[in-house]
Amino acid sequence: MSKKIFLDYKRCIGCRACEVACEMTHGEARIRVFEFPDLFTVPFNCRHCEKAPCLNVCPTGALFRDEDGAVAFDPLKCIGCLMCAVACPFGIPKLDEENKIMDKCDLCSDRRAEGKLPACVSACPTEALLYGDVNEVLWNREGKIVANLKSSAEKGEGEKAYIVL
Amino acid sequence: MAEKLVPVVCPWCSVGCRFYAVSVNGYIRKIEFDYDNPTVNRGKLCPKGVASYQFINSPKRLKKPLKRVGEKGEGKFEEISWDEAYRIIAEKIKEIKETYGPEAIAFLGSEKITFEENYLVHKLSKAIGTNNLDFPGRYCQYSNSPARTKVFGSAAATNPFEDVAKAELIVIWGHNPAETAPVFFGQYIEKAVLDNGAEMVVIDPRATRGHKYASLHLKPYPGTDLAIALAMLNVVIGEELYAKEFVQERVTGFEELKESVKDYTPEWAEKVSGVPAEDIRKVARLIATKRTALLVNEGMNQHVNGFELALAIANLIAITGNIGKEGVWSGVFPGAQCGFCAAMTGIAPNKLPTGKLVTDEAARAELERLWGFKIPDWAGLDLTSMIREMGNRIRMMYIVGGNIAKSAPNSRWVREQLKKLDFLVVQDIFLTDTAMYADIVLPAAAWFEKTGTAISAERRVQRTYKAAEAPGEAKPDWLILVELAKELGLGEYFKYEHPDEILREINSVIPIFKGATPEYLAEHPEGCFFPCTEPGEGTKVLFKGAFKTSDGKAHLQPVKWREPPEMPDEEYPLWLTNFRQVGHWHTGTMSFESPSLEKRWPEEYVMINPKDAEKYGIKSGDLVKVETRRGSVLVRAEVTDHVREGVIAMPWHWQANFLTLEETHEITKMAELKAVAARVSKVEE
Repeated sequence: MSKKIFLDYKRCIGCRACEVACEMTHGEARIRVFEFPDLFTVPFNCRHCEKAPCLNVCPTGALFRDEDGAVAFDPLKCIGCLMCAVACPFGIPKLDEENKIMDKCDLCSDRRAEGKLPACVSACPTEALLYGDVNEVLWNREGKIVANLKSSAEKGEGEKAYIVL
Repeated sequence: MAEKLVPVVCPWCSVGCRFYAVSVNGYIRKIEFDYDNPTVNRGKLCPKGVASYQFINSPKRLKKPLKRVGEKGEGKFEEISWDEAYRIIAEKIKEIKETYGPEAIAFLGSEKITFEENYLVHKLSKAIGTNNLDFPGRYCQYSNSPARTKVFGSAAATNPFEDVAKAELIVIWGHNPAETAPVFFGQYIEKAVLDNGAEMVVIDPRATRGHKYASLHLKPYPGTDLAIALAMLNVVIGEELYAKEFVQERVTGFEELKESVKDYTPEWAEKVSGVPAEDIRKVARLIATKRTALLVNEGMNQHVNGFELALAIANLIAITGNIGKEGVWSGVFPGAQCGFCAAMTGIAPNKLPTGKLVTDEAARAELERLWGFKIPDWAGLDLTSMIREMGNRIRMMYIVGGNIAKSAPNSRWVREQLKKLDFLVVQDIFLTDTAMYADIVLPAAAWFEKTGTAISAERRVQRTYKAAEAPGEAKPDWLILVELAKELGLGEYFKYEHPDEILREINSVIPIFKGATPEYLAEHPEGCFFPCTEPGEGTKVLFKGAFKTSDGKAHLQPVKWREPPEMPDEEYPLWLTNFRQVGHWHTGTMSFESPSLEKRWPEEYVMINPKDAEKYGIKSGDLVKVETRRGSVLVRAEVTDHVREGVIAMPWHWQANFLTLEETHEITKMAELKAVAARVSKVEE
């Protein structure tokens, strides 16, 4: 399974360190934090879809899947036709106006090549951003829920056993 | 092109985050996260930290010494050489000393320069013969710090940050760590709440970013939280919830305290602060029964009644026994990376670097022996008094890295006062609002352009190293001070070639830093906790067996209710308070020069509660005039229920201090920076 960036939204405080870290690495932030009036915040980057429509519609093969499963791109092959932007349901690929080619998150392929985490994940002060395999992330989450249920049952807090933390 | 990884301490808040600056031929190209060492931030950084080297490359950096040619405040300067700048300053110092005496000269240290440099500012001021010495931290921790010193004998944080994660209850009182210290929030507070099941309570008129984790949010009117603290003492004592054994063995003055708070019931506090009595009771009971980390900051400090509030909170910590053990936390939390660097080198009008008072003859004699020159024996003026006396008792000021024209209360008045000085020297990295009034501006090297020591909020002493070359002719602050001392004929006392030599002298002069040697700190990037009397002998938890007071016991202080100096009335019906944003730092001299931060946090605004907004016919995005008796500013409105009714709030990095009040507390000299009467009105565009 490929590795991706997942969000533990409960931990996010909307400090936008991920945006700034991405901007410092790539010149332009490819992750964006959305804020809601109730202080709920969600950082959102490319999902690197398993069935990536951007990759499917790219006529020149500029978009490709790298060995870690990220949807990366080759700027030399890109013709700026915007097909990927049209196909992406999340509005992720952006046009680099100056060079007339597309720009999108590649999960920091340079950093990964050096064995480092993507910049946004490295910076995130609350560890709201996780880089990992989807199953690993879900199993961890499941494990926490089970442990919570168990400890609630042990304490005899029957009614609390349904509260998922 | 050799890439070098230089270990540095982050230049913004006082959490003490470490990372690597990737330096290529004297330029910082990027940063790299430090996951290898047992650092306080565990490799993590906030947006300011990630973007922290942008400001040093700003084209607005000062590159040559400047001499004013236009009017004061106009900002017209001509470039001069270092030799000429030193000559002019030295001549002026001699002239003023001869005409008015050395007490007409005042020095300001800074929480932005290193430990060593603050020490030199102190040494130079004493060598010139003046005790008029202070730093802008006067407006930061000077309520909490003297209050805790009175009660516990020492103000510093009692425990390392790890203990916050072990606490059962987190009380965030007038503090917004999710924005001012995101790494501390994420790595310690969130871990306590989300992973270790701690409960969290927020006491703030505003909904801060962290408040979504809180089970209770108390929203007092600004400046009235003293009533809440008094009522909590009343509840804890009245319901006999205090730690009886602890009070018996380690505390004095309990009966006086009991007597002083007996009338301050939660119902009375509800009337004063607008917080339901039942909530006050709930929080008091929680603090008394759980291991508590009590986090306070400017929201509690920056009030004229902040000293009383800090005393009440210190009393509360003492009688509930939330001190001197694991899993609790309380203490001062400086806003800048080197708040402690200035405080611990005795940058205050009445202190010696050893921490003793200038009026203490024996302590003075000891320091005179070490330094080799005579030290003045009178207590000097604090920062607000200096401003008040400008052109009168104070004829000259030497400001290192401070921006009082924006950070001091009632800025318009401060700017008028600055014009009255005979001579002003400002040593900084940018032409700040204060430098506009200077006669001579000296270009300093920024953080990352020099080697030095920083002390974080948890008392961690860490070394940071030079990663970049200073632009133009800019020099490190320590070198400027050394060269100026030579010009003044004081060279024999300032024979330093490298910051290491200054640190070695500090090791011998200030006993609690004896073990923080340059060699030890170079080998241990995680640093040591002061007091560190021998290399490797740091102190992580304070007050385990005894307090730092004369008899080793905590001295409880009776406290009385004290009204804020200015309250809303018919003319100015709203409370105005201010806050800090995650993307900016202090007066913005550095963060405004950082494109990544400036882009995301571009301008100021005023938060207005929907009910108040309706009353005044204001909508989000409207241009409004915020007025107090000191002045007015034009800002955009943001209508939000994140601020309580009757209160408006502005970020303070821009112009908030045009509106605040310069009235000070008689002991601490803290001004009223967070609670003043104001009114808002819509401005037609």
